[in-house]
Amino acid sequence: MTVELDILLRRIADQDVEAFADFYDRTRARVYGLVIRVLRDPGYSEETTQDIYVQVWRSAANYDPTAGSPLAWLMTLAHRRAVDRVRAEQAAGDRESRYGAANTDRPADQVADTVISLDEQNQVRQCLDSLTEIQRECVQLAYYDGLTYAQVSERLSANLATIKSRIRDAIRSLRNCLGVS
Amino acid sequence: MTQPDSAELLSLATPYALHAVTDAESIEIERQLATAPAEVASAFINEVRAVRQTMAKLSATTALEPPLTLRTRLLAAVSDSSTDRPNRSVSARWRRVALAAAAVIAVGLAAVGIGLAIRPTPPPPSSSTAAQVLAAPDVRTVSGPVTGSGTATLVFSRDRNAGVLVMNDVLPPQAGSVYQMWLVGAGGPRSAGIIDAASLGPSTKAVLTDLGDSKVLAFTVEPIGGSTKPTTPIFAKLALS
Repeated sequence: MTVELDILLRRIADQDVEAFADFYDRTRARVYGLVIRVLRDPGYSEETTQDIYVQVWRSAANYDPTAGSPLAWLMTLAHRRAVDRVRAEQAAGDRESRYGAANTDRPADQVADTVISLDEQNQVRQCLDSLTEIQRECVQLAYYDGLTYAQVSERLSANLATIKSRIRDAIRSLRNCLGVS
Repeated sequence: MTQPDSAELLSLATPYALHAVTDAESIEIERQLATAPAEVASAFINEVRAVRQTMAKLSATTALEPPLTLRTRLLAAVSDSSTDRPNRSVSARWRRVALAAAAVIAVGLAAVGIGLAIRPTPPPPSSSTAAQVLAAPDVRTVSGPVTGSGTATLVFSRDRNAGVLVMNDVLPPQAGSVYQMWLVGAGGPRSAGIIDAASLGPSTKAVLTDLGDSKVLAFTVEPIGGSTKPTTPIFAKLALS
């Protein structure tokens, strides 16, 4: 998938609409799924996902293969946008009202299995399940909830150094389990 | 850089990669990285790369299909922006700008009812006006920051005598006031409509008609209901050139 996305990104940089459609179809569930996990509101998530792909269309030429895989580039961009949006909403003070009744449970079978295989989903989920309760909480707060590590430290009443090492340990465990070198 | 500083910097690599730092911290981290010993900077960058690769893999567990309409809208916007390219080298940059505006506008037009309260222009923003502006041969885009927060972007056509305004991340006006838009030409400013707190979302769109000979689109804070002339300093403006 990586090599293919790489080629597609190069064609998108040349404003190839077909390549863009293909790239979107291969990655849309990952991007939208992450965005809605962070934002929780379907309307905001759709807008933000659209912004993300518009940015892909405009900045595909900036993708640098030496800095990571195309998917890592895309998901970093997507997470950045989602977190920016969450923080903007928090600043505007209406997060509680818009996000109050959020529901993040969803069946896995909503995703076309040609894009992400069940095997892959299961393997990654097992890695997530292998974390300790405290590590999973750190991933939730620092990644999916868009909090800064300082906010996580306040939320959990633990000092900054402790939180930084908890977050690092959690990601290291995942990384080892997933075989990321 | 001393040893403890390097350790401190490296301890921030994972939060930095997860966007779990403030913007100010992020800038400070990047500043320190620029002057850090090569081995520290390289360790930091490798850590960031590994964390992001890990999170990319993790996205398999949160995958969810977006609504089909999103694909349709995105492709329409992208296709629009790649047609009609007589001079590729000149138009490439423009097309990218147009796409951003077109895509954002498509969302706004789909969401009927979130539009702006445009006064005194009576008809509500219509998709045909926006579409005509975007399709016009002389279409242009101007964009600028809004004092305080956010950006304003105007896509306009002199031929069509109309424009589409998009405001992103602009904070709502204070209680008891509204934002008023002014088209400024040789005859001075004339009102182009009002944006009240209720109609201002994270991304807000409005169709402006009758640009006339105006040279500038300006924004001021006015009492509810608006004013016949600007009564406070301009807090944002876009030159229509």
